Order: sequence, then C-alpha cells, then structure tokens
Amino acid sequence: MTDATSRITVNGRELECRAAAHLSLLRWLRDHVGALEVKYGCGEGVCGACAVLIDGQAVNSCLVLAAQIDGRAVTTSAGLGSPSGGLGRLQQAFLDRGAAQCGFCTGGMLVTAAEFAGAGEALDRRSIRDALHGNLCRCTGYQAIVDAVDDVLRDQGSSSPPAGGWT
Amino acid sequence: MTTVGGRDEVQRSDASQLRVVGRPLPRTDAAEKIAGSTRYAADLALPAMLHTRLVRSTLPSARLVRRDTARARSLAGVVAVLLGEDVPHNEVWVDVPGQQTEVRALKARSQVLATGRVRYHGQPIALVVAESEDVLAEAEALVDVEYEELPGVFDPEEALGEEAPRVHEDGNLLAEWHIDSGDAATALERAPIVIEGQYRTQFVDHAYLEPEAGVAWLDDDGVITIRASTQVVEHFRDIAAILGVPQARIRVIAPYVGGGFGGKEDMTVEPYLALAVLRTGRPVRMVWTRQESLLARPKRHPMRLRYRTGAENDGTLVAQDIEILADTGAEAYLGALVLLYSSVTAAGPYRCPNVRVRARAVYTNHPPCSAMRGFGAMQVVFGCEAQIDELARRLQLTPDEIRRRNAIREGDRLPVGQQIVTPIWLGETIDQVLRAAGPRPEPSRPHCRVGRGIASNLQPYGRLVWLQDTAAAWIGFQFDGSVTLRCGVPDIGGGQAASLGQIAAEVLGVDPARVTVHFGDSARTPLAGTSTATRQLYMSGNAAHLAATRLRDQTLDAVAEAAGRARGALRLGPGGVEGGGEPIALPRALELVRGLGVPLEVLATFHGPRGRAVARDLAAERVFPDFTVGTHLADVEVDCDTGQIRVVRYLACHDVGRAINPQSVSGQICGGAAMGIGSALTEEIVLESGINLTAGFFQYRIPTALDLPDIEAIALESGAGMGPFGARGIGEPPIGPPAATIANAVRDAIGVRLTELPMTPERVLAAIRAQAHTDPPRPAPTGP
Amino acid sequence: MYVRPFGYTRPASPLEACEHLRRDDGAKVLAGGQSLLPLVNLGLSTPSLLVDIQSLGDLHGLHLEGEQLVIGASTTHRMLERDAQVRRVAPLLAASVREVGNLRVRNRGTIGGSVAHADPAAELPMCLIVLEARYLVDNGARVRSVPAADFATGFLTTRLAPDELLTRIEVPAAGPDWGWGFQEVARRAGDFALVAAAAIARCEGTLVADLRIGLAGVAPRPVRCPTLEAAARGRSPEALPELAPLVDPDIAPSDDSFTPAHYRAHLARVLAIRAAQDAARRSLDVRAA
Repeated sequence: MTDATSRITVNGRELECRAAAHLSLLRWLRDHVGALEVKYGCGEGVCGACAVLIDGQAVNSCLVLAAQIDGRAVTTSAGLGSPSGGLGRLQQAFLDRGAAQCGFCTGGMLVTAAEFAGAGEALDRRSIRDALHGNLCRCTGYQAIVDAVDDVLRDQGSSSPPAGGWT
Repeated sequence: MTTVGGRDEVQRSDASQLRVVGRPLPRTDAAEKIAGSTRYAADLALPAMLHTRLVRSTLPSARLVRRDTARARSLAGVVAVLLGEDVPHNEVWVDVPGQQTEVRALKARSQVLATGRVRYHGQPIALVVAESEDVLAEAEALVDVEYEELPGVFDPEEALGEEAPRVHEDGNLLAEWHIDSGDAATALERAPIVIEGQYRTQFVDHAYLEPEAGVAWLDDDGVITIRASTQVVEHFRDIAAILGVPQARIRVIAPYVGGGFGGKEDMTVEPYLALAVLRTGRPVRMVWTRQESLLARPKRHPMRLRYRTGAENDGTLVAQDIEILADTGAEAYLGALVLLYSSVTAAGPYRCPNVRVRARAVYTNHPPCSAMRGFGAMQVVFGCEAQIDELARRLQLTPDEIRRRNAIREGDRLPVGQQIVTPIWLGETIDQVLRAAGPRPEPSRPHCRVGRGIASNLQPYGRLVWLQDTAAAWIGFQFDGSVTLRCGVPDIGGGQAASLGQIAAEVLGVDPARVTVHFGDSARTPLAGTSTATRQLYMSGNAAHLAATRLRDQTLDAVAEAAGRARGALRLGPGGVEGGGEPIALPRALELVRGLGVPLEVLATFHGPRGRAVARDLAAERVFPDFTVGTHLADVEVDCDTGQIRVVRYLACHDVGRAINPQSVSGQICGGAAMGIGSALTEEIVLESGINLTAGFFQYRIPTALDLPDIEAIALESGAGMGPFGARGIGEPPIGPPAATIANAVRDAIGVRLTELPMTPERVLAAIRAQAHTDPPRPAPTGP
Repeated sequence: MYVRPFGYTRPASPLEACEHLRRDDGAKVLAGGQSLLPLVNLGLSTPSLLVDIQSLGDLHGLHLEGEQLVIGASTTHRMLERDAQVRRVAPLLAASVREVGNLRVRNRGTIGGSVAHADPAAELPMCLIVLEARYLVDNGARVRSVPAADFATGFLTTRLAPDELLTRIEVPAAGPDWGWGFQEVARRAGDFALVAAAAIARCEGTLVADLRIGLAGVAPRPVRCPTLEAAARGRSPEALPELAPLVDPDIAPSDDSFTPAHYRAHLARVLAIRAAQDAARRSLDVRAA
C-alpha cells in the first residue's frame, strides 16, 4: 500500500491519519496536525528536536512513520501543560531557570525529561545529563536545562509521580 | 550564576535604584517557546505555497560543462527550475575592506547560482521549485549537471604558491593585514626569554538547532516579503540588487531565530526564496536540511598561528611576533573582516610595547568561511594564551601572576593604536575564577592525571567604528499605559527583544509585562542593524534607552504643565506619574499629555563612535567601540592510556559591565563556554580533497549534556561598559577562552602541550608518546 | 528530509513478510527503524517498499527457556535495559545496551535490527558473540540457526539471504560465577564506539579459568580474541596487561578519514584488558560473596 489509514491520538485528541506511507511522524504532525512545536533538526535521530512521546516513551518522530503507530498515543511538548491550561511543572521549571534560549531544542528536551521524570527515579545531576544526552542544545550549555530538571526531581523527592503524571 | 558587584567609583548608575534591570526575570519570549507556540521561520504555511530546494555541486572544483533542467522540469509537480542565467543579477560584487589591487580597491565576485564553474563542494547550481516537498528529491536528481573536474587547492599555504590553481581570477590572497607597533624584531633579539609556538585551529560549524529556513510571498503593492531565519534584516538591499528591483520593494522579517552564532549573518535562503517568488508569484518555502547546512554554509576559519613572545625575566612582556594564515574557503564573504579582528586581538589582553602581526586570508576550494561567534578573535586566543602559559612555566610564575603582571588597563593602548577608554577588569576576572575554583580534583583512576588551566581573552563589542553604526528604536505609550517598542533587531535566541523591553520598562516605570516589543522587520520596525558583533544590547539597548528616556521626559514635562506640578518632583513608577502629590495613574496622565497635543511616542537613533576606514597597514586611534574581557578556568582529567580528556570542572568569568538580565547573561556565558569546549575537544568539519565528510550530525559532534560538566558562570559588574546602565556585550566573549583553557589544563596534567584543535584522544596520546623529556615542575595556580 | 516516496506494508506472518521481500528487490525490512530510516532520510537508501515486522507478535519480548535467554528480534533496547532477567542472566547485555545511542533510539531500536544491520562498531552484536548466542533465521518455509560469530560477514553484510528474517536470538546464560566487563571509547556520549570491548570471565582461586573477549570497531565485523583468551587462562587479573599485544592477531583495523587504524588498535589493546580485568574481578567478587 502507498497510503495508510490509521488512528493516532495526539495530545489527547484522537485523529484519523490518512497519509502517504512514506510520511514520517514528524511531517505528519507538522503538516497535517499543525503540531509545529515538533521541530526538524537533523533527520538522523541525533539532535532530538523532533522528540515526542509515544505511549509515554520518547522517540525520534523523524525516524518513525506515521503509518507505524496505528492506535497509539502521541504527546508533544505542547501536551505537557497543566490541566488548567497553564504551563506544566517541567515547563514551569524551564521557565524559572531560563532553560529556553533560542527555544528550538526545548520541546524535545521537555518530552525526553518528561519520560524519565515520569519514572519517578531520584537522579543525580550526572544521571540527568545521561538521560538528556540524546538531545542537543547549542545555546545553554545545558546548564539551565539540567538545573530545571534537577529542581523538578528534587521537588518530587523519591516519591512517585503525582496522579496525572508529570505534566 | 554568581553576580559580583562593581566598585563604587566606576558605577555609572546606582544599581540599588533599578527595579527591573538586573533582575533575573524570565524572558518574555520564553513562556511561548516552552509552551510550543512560537512560530519559527519554517513554521509558516500559506495557501498555494510552493517548495524549493537547491541543486548543489558534488565537486569542489570543476567546470560546468552542461546544466540541463529539461528532465526535471518535465516531472509532474515541478513548477520551475532556475539556473544562474535566470537570476536578474547573478553576479554579486562585494568590497574587500582595506585591500588594494595594483589599480583599484579589491572587490570579490560571487554568484547566486554557479554558471561557469564551481569552486566548492555544495555550491548552489540550480533552484528547483515544486508543488510538493515530495517531488523535490527526485527533481533534484533529474537536474543533469556535467562537470569537468579542475585542479583544486586545499591548503592555504599551497594556495599562495605561484603555481597553485587560482580559485578566483585576482589570485588566492583575499586579504592581508599588518600591525607594526614598536620594533618587535629588535625587542625579540634583546629579550632574555623568548617562547615560540605554532598552533592550528579547525573548520567549525555553528550547528544551531534550527536549520536555515524561510517563507516568502508577494505582498500587497508588489512587495516581496521574506520571513526567514536570519541575523540581518538589512539584507533586503542585497536581495533587491540580485532581483533588480527597488530596495523599497523587498521586506525581510526575522521571526524568533533558532540560533545564529554568525551562521545566519550572511544570506542563506533569502535570495533563493525571493527569486522563486519573483518567478512564480506564489508563496514559497525553503528549508535546508541539516546535511546541506553542514555541507556548504560558511564555517569558522581554520587558522595557522605562529607566535614568538619575548619577556623580561620578571615576566613583563616586551614583544610579540604573530603570523596568521587563515583558510577563507572559496568565497570572500566576511573573511577579510574576520582576519582584521584576529589581527587586532592577536596580542591578547596584555600590554606589550612591540608587536608585529602579519595576517592573511587565502582562498581555497573549501567551503567558504565567514562569521562565527568570536569572529576571528576566538582562534588567536588558542595561540596567545598558550604562549603566556609557557612563559609562566619558563619563569616559574603561576599562570595568574603572569597575566596580572601584563593585564591591560584603562588608558593602555592595543598594538593597533586603540586606547582602552573604559575600566577593564581583567585581573578581577582572574581573581574570581581562582577564588571560586577551590581545591584541585584528585584523579579518579590510577591511569588518569588531572590538571588545571586558565586563559583570558578580550573580544570587541560593537561594530568596526568606520561602519558608522547606528540603531534606531521607536517607543510609544498606548492610551492604557501599555508600551509598544519597535526595533529592527533580530532576536536570535539571546533574549535580544526581551532585554529591550526590560530596559524600556525600567525607564518608563512600568511592569515589563506591559511592554510589547516588535522586532526584526526591515519595513515596519526602525532599522537597528545586525544581531552580530555582540552589538545589539550595546547599540539597540542604547537606542531603546534613549527613546524611553526621551519619552519619559516629554511625558513628565507635559504632566507637570497640565497638572501644575513641579517638574523636578515627578517620576514614572508603578503608580504612574509619582511625586508632587497623589500619584496620577498612567492612563489619566497620558490623557493630560494628549490634551496638550504632546505626542506619546519617540523615535530615537543611537550612534556608535565614528571612525575612519583602515588600510592594510593597521594603525588607528580607534577600531572598535570597546571590549569585554574574561578569564576561564578548567580542571581536566586525562586518561593516559586512551588519551581521552574529561572536563571535570569549568568556570567562566567575564566583566559584563551590567547584567541587564542575569539569567540571559548566564545563558550566554554557559552557552559560549560549551560551544568553545566543543571546538576544543570534538568538533571539526573534515574535508578530504575538498569533499566535506562531515555533512551530518552523526559526524559533526557538538557536545551533549553528558560531555560537559556543570559550567559556573560569574558575571562581574564593573558598571563600566558603553551599553545601557553600563553594560558590555557578552554574546561572543565566552567563546574565546575555552580551547586555550583546556589546552593549558591538559599541559598541566600531562606535561605536554597540544597545539592543534580539536584535542582528540589520538592527538593526546600521540603527544604523550612524543614527549621526549619531562618539564621542570612549576607551581600550580592557586587562589590569592 | 526530502525522501522519495515508498510503500509500506504490515505483513501478518513471517511467511508474508518473506514473500514481499522475494517479490520486490527494493523491499526492505523495517523493524525499529533507527538504522534504516536515517539512511532513507539522507537519501542513502531508496527503498520501494518497507516491510514492517513490528506487528509480528512472536518477535516481541524475551523469556527464559531452561538455561538460555530467548529474545525476540523486535525486542527493543529499552526492554532489554529494563528487564530484571536480563540483568540477572546476561548482565553484560544489560550493561552494554545502555551505551547504545540515546534514550529515543533505545526506545525504538531493536536487538534484531542491530544484529541484522551489522555495524562493526555496534555494541550488541559484539556482546552476543562473546555470549556465544545463536540467531534463528526464517524465510517463511525454513528456520535455520546461525552462531552469532558466523553471522556478520563484513561491513554491514550478513549471512541473511534477501528473503530471510532474523526472528530470535538465543543467549546461553553464563553460570553464576562468571563476571563481565564492558568498555567503550566513543568520541561523544551516545556515538558509535571507536572501539568497544566486552568480556566475560570465570576465576578459580585467584586465577582466570575461562575468559572470552570480543571487540567492536577494529575489523569489518565484531571479533573474538582467541589468542588472548587462551593465554589468559591460569593468570591472575593483575597479570593480564602484559598480554595486551595478543589482541593484534585477531583485529584488522583500517584507517578512515576520521580515525587512524593505529589508534583503534591501541584502544583495542587497552580496552580488551580493562574489560577482561573487570570481568575477572567481578568473578572473584562473586566467589568471595
């Protein structure tokens, strides 16, 4: 088949995806869903600007075909807000710490952090760096980003994530 | 980040009076970026929009025998394929500053789309315009280009040879600069201590996360509007020249840019978008792939540096003889100016009476080199600070002692002749990093050694004075007391727009959230110049400050008259117009102002210091407005079996004058240091006979979070800068010291100096093995 | 990013998958996509059809069968990384899989994909030859078993026929008294290794009784170091460094545009010994405990 139809949930909205088979999840999200917070940065799976969560796991949306994820749930960084519509906790920590400069890597950073923060493990700063190492940033030297994630993990302590997750 | 306050005698304004400036406020752009609602250059889609892609040269030096677009044009979905012949003015001539041929001032030629020959791998040859992105890959492949390979030149020294293939008709020397201050040759002969060394730096890419992108359309009244990721909206003039249309018919909009670092200082997508709009009349989008961004967009100049440094026995510098050879690649771009920066700063932030500099930028068939953060003043730090470090060792001085002894101060002159006119706190930056560094670390494993290094630098902020730089800002109160600020500054991620809002809020006494900044539009915001050269806070910041101050004054003048209050008692503050009685809420006060027919707006232009153009033999009272200095410190651990370097600790201190937004300043320092560490250790564009082998993020290795330690930024506030509230520029300065800092630390750890970047593990290992003798021990740098 | 359009199919069985592969020269197997799709995005691979085997249920997950760990080819790196059984019976695999790419690559990338892609610098194929794993290969009609050591034939090439699928990986559990060691030098966190070394060892008394060492990045395919392994028997872990030159007969590094062969060879010697010593010491620790 050259065209595939699948149902994909994006940030809680179930959508029908009728896209050409070769369309990456990245292009489908940007061109068909309007999820422009998902960025193209390299197409190689190296930079992480296109990261989204699929069923809670961070993936390179440039290295997944939209056709491959029938029935699954995608969360982009825009889906990490608080239930009341404001910034979620990770997002707020990024704001407080000045972790977004040019902002191009920010969405991917947030979803990657959301995955491991959601696991509720207490991580030291080196472990945070380890978990984030697949997301490249050229502006911050990662300092404010690691600070922000560190803040959230400290607030959380070693207890499990709140109901409703980390966002 | 630590912020360290200034000494009273140099404070220009009393920091305690400031409400908004100096506070680490979240930037106004940050919340939207974090929420994901910021729309970058590639994020715009318009009805009936077309898509474009460049066909690029697969060879570094070749004659174009045939370019046939017929097959590509016949592909369904292809709208047009443009060649150089389709470009109204395909030849672009630029002045090469300070350089003369025998008969005239030197000009350099380039082409928008190559016609006769190609000079570097990745040079644009054709532009494919199509209905859909899906067609572009095949269409590109269907453009038939037949090449006849020509001999190329891939080494700047070889390029200077008589027999070398010529990259351009005028010869391979693009630019040459000389500085002769005092008599370096004689002073070196007489100097009791002379250190010599040769150093090499590499091709480096900006590697911002946002690849080059833009959307363009034909707007009302025939204005071609280009919304692109750029540091320079003023390129509308160059685009007009290429298209052969009046400059007033081209408008460039810079939305929030996903990183620039100099890589979006020259034009990237803009002329191609404009050509496609001119040809089709339809909206057009162009997004470069990461691979083409790495392949062919201008790089940082690799340099070969030769230093000889002479000193007295007490460590006082007496002479420096410096030769710089830069590979400028196949196009002129800003290569001559980059080398000018190198020349002026090559002797470092030190007093030295006898300095000779010979700097040359040479064409090769490599990708062009142009602006990148540090702009030539970065590479020379690697040479200069190695010399200073070796001098300290020879003299058994600590690295901090030798730097303090020679540190440049207010009133001193740089070798080029420019006098330092503001207090320069170099010694204090050294004190700060040493104080904060604490004890040296212990090796974590038996086969590892640790070492500590420091390096200092000076980096100009503001453009060359003969460019007669100006920046304009328009500021106005709305009736409800909210503030509109218009300023043509492109915001490239450093918080350029937000800082202007903060300055305006400070002066006008309003909450920063009440200020809206319109920025980066060549037609609808007053032109503020380029977001380059560490100039925006200085230039546009001063323009915004000037405009806001005038608006405040004319507002208070009018309120005093209308309300019958003493002018001297009035000020703008959170309560509106305060003083001389009950505060008057701002909307009411503005009503009074309007009642007198006094405008609620001001357009102000700030002028940088003016100067005369320089010639090849550099000697000038003033070249740059001013400088920012700093010192970095690194602790490294070297695995002597594998050669790996791990940076264990990193501190960076700069005299920032005043941190308008400490959070933004910290971000600039940490980000610059990280980028510098990447240059030091892992980053390199690798070329083999002109073919770029690093056209991907797999191969071009910018540091990850795990490759870096925590970076401690220390902002020293001398209050002595020429920017608003005494600020200095801080965008470029932190890129200077890292490579030298790490090289000095590695030297300390293993007793060998690495002289070539990047300092890869195999180079470390080779240096360890080549070590013929053990150096005499020398005291470690310790805090005062 | 500008890819040539291609087709996509989700076969219901290995047989159907193999038929697609037989019918269409341009068809390629898509598993996690973390090696194939970058090549497609860069235009270095232009398939006509991608045959997605992720929906083949049998290929997912892992379990213990007697003394061996059976891993479905579509099992992701992340599943291996987080699985308690893997940590217990194949701790080498658990440790090395953490070094693969980054979190997102491990969330999608599969063990079968890594093995079939046969990058000579990849961590898992090297560990699997050290663990003496076997690979089951299916063409829809016939299943055969290939020793891990024989599977890769060279740079990015394997014994897999064009119409065959790698379906499962069988890893014999090392005994409880075996220790493991894993060492890697990469230019940057998450990069492919310049050189990686994996070892497992069993000590008796204070001496090495059994040692297996594998290296990645020093030949067109991962290699074992039989010369060094043999010489190590009966030695104490501290005496292993002098054996480092014995990796030389079993490696064949070549110069490339980024890394000289002699540096890879040097790293092979250093890392092989470090991995072997780590493995031997862990074995001694187990015995002491």
